[in-house]
Amino acid sequence: MANEKLQIKKLYALSSENKKFSFSLPLKHTIRIGKRDYEVQLKADEKFGTYILWKNRKYPVEIVRSSQNKYEILFNDISYTFTVETPFSLQRKKVLNSRLGKVEKEFIRAPMPGKIIDVLVREGSIVQKGESLVILEAMKMQNEILSPVNGIVERVTAKPNTNVMKDDLLVEIKL
Amino acid sequence: MKIKRILIANRGEIAVRIMKTAKLMKIETVAVKTAVEPNAMYLSSADVIYDNTDDISEIPVFLDIEKLISIALKAGANAIHPGYGFLAENAYFAQKCIDNKIIFIGPSPDAIYKMGNKTIARKIALAGGIPMAMGSEGNIANEEEAIVIAEKIGYPVIIKAASGGGGRGMRIVRKTEEMEKMFIIASKEAEKAFNDPSVFVEKYIENPKHIEFQILGDTKGNVIHLGERECSIQRKHQKLLEEAPSPALDDKLRKRMGDMAVQIAKAVDYHSAGTVEFLLDSDRNFYFMEMNTRIQVEHPVTEIITGLDLIEQQIRIANGEELKFKQSDIRLKGWAIECRINAEDVQAGFAPDPGKIENLHMPSNPCIRVDTGVQTGSSIVASYDSMIAKLIVRGKDRKDCIKNCKMALDKVWIKGTKTTLPFFRMLVRHKKFQDGTFTTSFIEKDLDKYYFNSEYEEMLAAWLATKLFVEENLNDDSINVNFEHGKVMSPWLLNKRINQF
Repeated sequence: MANEKLQIKKLYALSSENKKFSFSLPLKHTIRIGKRDYEVQLKADEKFGTYILWKNRKYPVEIVRSSQNKYEILFNDISYTFTVETPFSLQRKKVLNSRLGKVEKEFIRAPMPGKIIDVLVREGSIVQKGESLVILEAMKMQNEILSPVNGIVERVTAKPNTNVMKDDLLVEIKL
Repeated sequence: MKIKRILIANRGEIAVRIMKTAKLMKIETVAVKTAVEPNAMYLSSADVIYDNTDDISEIPVFLDIEKLISIALKAGANAIHPGYGFLAENAYFAQKCIDNKIIFIGPSPDAIYKMGNKTIARKIALAGGIPMAMGSEGNIANEEEAIVIAEKIGYPVIIKAASGGGGRGMRIVRKTEEMEKMFIIASKEAEKAFNDPSVFVEKYIENPKHIEFQILGDTKGNVIHLGERECSIQRKHQKLLEEAPSPALDDKLRKRMGDMAVQIAKAVDYHSAGTVEFLLDSDRNFYFMEMNTRIQVEHPVTEIITGLDLIEQQIRIANGEELKFKQSDIRLKGWAIECRINAEDVQAGFAPDPGKIENLHMPSNPCIRVDTGVQTGSSIVASYDSMIAKLIVRGKDRKDCIKNCKMALDKVWIKGTKTTLPFFRMLVRHKKFQDGTFTTSFIEKDLDKYYFNSEYEEMLAAWLATKLFVEENLNDDSINVNFEHGKVMSPWLLNKRINQF
């Protein structure tokens, strides 16, 4: 990093939908819209917590998670995930991505803490995208957990009448 | 006034709401303090707090009939208001109150029972010539029986819980192959939610509007309606936004539907506040769906356009007073919209997002009313519903109301959990919402994005991520934040501090 530091002139924030935002260094506290620069201020106080002040409006912000160069940010009640890349790491990422094969497995995890009411598939079941896999009860509602992919169920870890935490593995599907 | 002291058999915003009116009427209130929410905001509105924090029962106290009756007796309350949810539509509870000489602020046990059981309610409506969707005569035993009926009336059909309400225990079935799975889901959900797994089947009306009429009846046999509410903005039968009046009704249709609603209420000698729900199809045919024998979450929009306090009316009726106005005295004035701001993650399919509310600021303005049971520092707990606040906005007409709503939504400030705010910000900008042509399938069919963000918001978030990266990795400039002020340190400030050592 120290070697890179001297040479970095730009940083890129890549969104989870692969939108690229570039910022030149040193990072300015302004964002340009058309021909005008607008000041961005990051502030925090007891009344509002952390917020960004931009064009005379306060926006609530929160850093939900950050690890290495990955940041999940809550901005005005909406989550965004970015990976921040230097020109070098961006290049490296492109090369790596082209070498990587396709994903072969899909891990279905509990979207929220709750209780498993029913498991509708077993190992070896062929599932279609949109088919329900598990019924999870949380906050008085029964939620169907749907398969996001077509594939074959390889492993079922969800058991009826057991409690699960958020992100617990429920079903593994082989594509 | 016979009613001297009311036990509020509920929590959250509705407990606060009831106590507010009781205070105006100079009636004392008793609230129950539970171990789940010992610091809840509703407790601060009560005259007497009954401490139930040492209750080790598995059942929440608000569902424990014996316990509530004993609390009322111990606390010297001579009336109980059940609010909505919990025991609000439990005929046995209403009867138990009467048996113990406690005034139940709601309808008679008989009316609750008849309307609460959807198959009996259907029979009553049918006998009165009220239009209804075709369906099974009574409850159905299994999926085979459901398939036979579905094939007779034609798909799609909807499976509904006989003891249902609040949108739970309902599933739409479009083809025979889906019946088994949906029957099991609906029946299990019904058993869990209402302690009664019985379900029935009726024809599913495609793309209807949900229109409901507010009813008021007294114990002298007078029944009137207070106009309609439109609640078509719903997801999985859970209402998200309600308004009054409905953009789909004119005076003629309002009169026809309102008369029917009054007729249904009269058929069960209804007294107190109640709601008759209809579906309205694209040809303006309407069908009776069910009657809710309680105060509804969305009652404030009716209060705004009628100028009446529905909780006050409930209390007066329970006290034995006669309604002081006739149908012809009811004038609907202006427009009102209610947004249910829930702790839900719109980007994750409206998954509940319980947690502590770190900051909460609601706008104050003559056109805004906020009904809430939480404040900064409160928690949205997983054991109850995910409601944070109801943002109720008025306007002189629908257009003006939407404009005010848009402004109000931008001024709500909630930190700590994700909320349904981005959904409403999108909704008030959506053409189909603005022109009033939306139906109950709006969220499922007409939306490709569930939230609104302005063009620059993502860019600002990207800037922030980049700034954090610079702070952490390049030790460049410093962040100008006075974190000694805040009691709660946000994760990113914590991160920064750790990095400094």
